[in-house]
Amino acid sequence: MSAVPVLETRGLGIRFGGLKAVDDVSLSVPEGLTLGVIGPNGAGKSTFINLVTGHLKPTSGTVLVDGRDLTGVKPWVIAKARVARTFQIVKPFRGMTVRENVAVGVLYGPDGTGRMSTALKQADEILAEVGIFELGDRPPGELSVADARRLEFAKALALKPRLLLLDEVMAGLRPGEIEPSLQLIRDLKARGMTIIVVEHVMKAILAVSDEVLVLNAGQRLMLGPPREVLSDPQVIEAYLGHKYATRAAQLSEAASAALAAPTPTPTPTPNAVDIAEEEVGPDA
Amino acid sequence: MATVTPALWRRWGPWALGLVGALAALGLQTQLYTGQVRTVATIFMFVALALSWNLIGGYTGYASFGQVVFFGLGGYFAAVTMTHLHWSFWVALPLAGLAAAAYAVVIGIPLLRLRGHYFAIATLGVAEGTREVVINLDGLTGGGGGITVPTVGAAAATKYLGNDGFYLVYLALAVLALLITGLVSRSKFGFAMRAIHQDEDAAAAVGINTTRTKVLTFALSGLLTGLVGATYAFQQVTIYPERLFDVEITVLMVVMVVIGGSGTVLGPIIGAVALQFLSEWLRQNYTTVHTLLLGIIIIIAVILLPQGLVNYLREARRNGDYSLLANVRRYRL
Ligand SMILES: Nc1ncnc2c1ncn2[C@@H]1O[C@H](COP(=O)(O)OP(=O)(O)OP(=O)(O)O)[C@@H](O)[C@H]1O
Ligand SMILES: [Mg+2]
Repeated sequence: MSAVPVLETRGLGIRFGGLKAVDDVSLSVPEGLTLGVIGPNGAGKSTFINLVTGHLKPTSGTVLVDGRDLTGVKPWVIAKARVARTFQIVKPFRGMTVRENVAVGVLYGPDGTGRMSTALKQADEILAEVGIFELGDRPPGELSVADARRLEFAKALALKPRLLLLDEVMAGLRPGEIEPSLQLIRDLKARGMTIIVVEHVMKAILAVSDEVLVLNAGQRLMLGPPREVLSDPQVIEAYLGHKYATRAAQLSEAASAALAAPTPTPTPTPNAVDIAEEEVGPDA
Repeated sequence: MATVTPALWRRWGPWALGLVGALAALGLQTQLYTGQVRTVATIFMFVALALSWNLIGGYTGYASFGQVVFFGLGGYFAAVTMTHLHWSFWVALPLAGLAAAAYAVVIGIPLLRLRGHYFAIATLGVAEGTREVVINLDGLTGGGGGITVPTVGAAAATKYLGNDGFYLVYLALAVLALLITGLVSRSKFGFAMRAIHQDEDAAAAVGINTTRTKVLTFALSGLLTGLVGATYAFQQVTIYPERLFDVEITVLMVVMVVIGGSGTVLGPIIGAVALQFLSEWLRQNYTTVHTLLLGIIIIIAVILLPQGLVNYLREARRNGDYSLLANVRRYRL
């Protein structure tokens, strides 16, 4: 069992004026784990990703990647450390083709090549993996919502990441479009990739997460096995308390459905226990 | 031309264009009157300037409204070293370019943190400030009274090049700018520049060191602009801060790039040639109102083709729709 977690945060936080958008979050994500992250709008989920990937500098705490202190370094340093992310609001390079969008990541990623032909070939492989190979020559502006999210996914995969942070890659997708994305996450998991999935779609969280983290008002409200967390009164309260009634309904519905007919157990990950409450960061 | 695929053009276009253009320009030179040689040389000068602005403003998306600072700096570097140190123009020229590039690095590191209008305004401020410094260093620069480069006799390390000589130097600089643009735009580095233009956060997220890329681009752009400024200073013999740091020179670069198509290889060339021709033609035929007419034509062009001629043609071919009205509609806010 590898002792060093792929990602560890200790007391991580950021203030925007008086607002603590992320507040004292300590967390340890062992290799191979898929961590679901949920929480009401404005809970700090995207901000947490921004802090880990260098897009925002934390005002307190530390970020360790493979045990290396990468607190507050620039995003490209994080990318070279094989940590990739997607953006909640998709950020394609609009003047390039879909294939070129992915090739940029191959050119500048951790295995950076200088050969354009190699990069374009690898980009095609990644596009095939996320299911939009045939759209390679299109400008990203012509993609559907679902395909634009797949492109965002592909751009992250271009870095050949060890740790992948997905910020609502399934938002706005129709039910039929979600399954391929879930399958892709399962495939990446099977290859040993460590994944953090921020998602409001509870079905998706249940389908892929080994553990679920609940953020509320910037703080870590709860962390534990998916079904346990999702049926916790405190968690439902956090959603209801913020008047996200529909989401809460969706939440309990998904949770009870899951309890009634347990989905096939996610691939057993021996390291999953590492993340249990008691074992979080030494100075937590 | 139906057989020229985009891929083929991208690979060989700039080289072919550079070669054909240079040969044509050399042939043209033998056919021109003295006055015309000067006019065409000025066109080459603006082609080089527009291409150099296009690197930072067009490809990377950082509109440098103080670009003339590199022109002025290159010019003064050449004039001062040729006058006081009796340097040969051929030594002063490359070093003037390097001095401008070094200045671009020094001001670029703080200024390239700013985005959009803030960057534009800050560069404008630096250009104005630098001109004041040049005026105040009058022992070296002659201040507001200007400085005169020795062009004849023992004091002149390099004899005045004459109309034909400067024609060739500007032509060489235009071809150099074209080749650099062609190389950069197709390279890995060019992808980083365009990625930064289109989304800087997304560029950083896929491993592009955005700071380094922006500073290097600014330096390259400053280098080319500085080379042109040095040549201009020698050509003018006597130079004044007001002229060498004239904001109008920046405005011309920007307008040429915008009209031709920013972020393309051909756009700035077309913009520079078209604007200089038009300006010259209007000057000769409508002496009293030529700047007014030129202004009106520029405004109409920008309204109808906000993305520039080359980008408009590219998009129109894609959509199969050449209607200018539809184009205006697509780009209105
Ligand atoms: N750059 C910023 N400046 C100021 N406030 C910010 C900034 N980024 C985020 N915030 C604030 O921090 C809080 C957390 O925002 P964040 O985007 O992380 O929420 P989220 O959990 O991702 O929500 P959602 O589910 O809507 O995506 C919000 O109140 C937001 O307004
Ligand atoms: Mg968010």
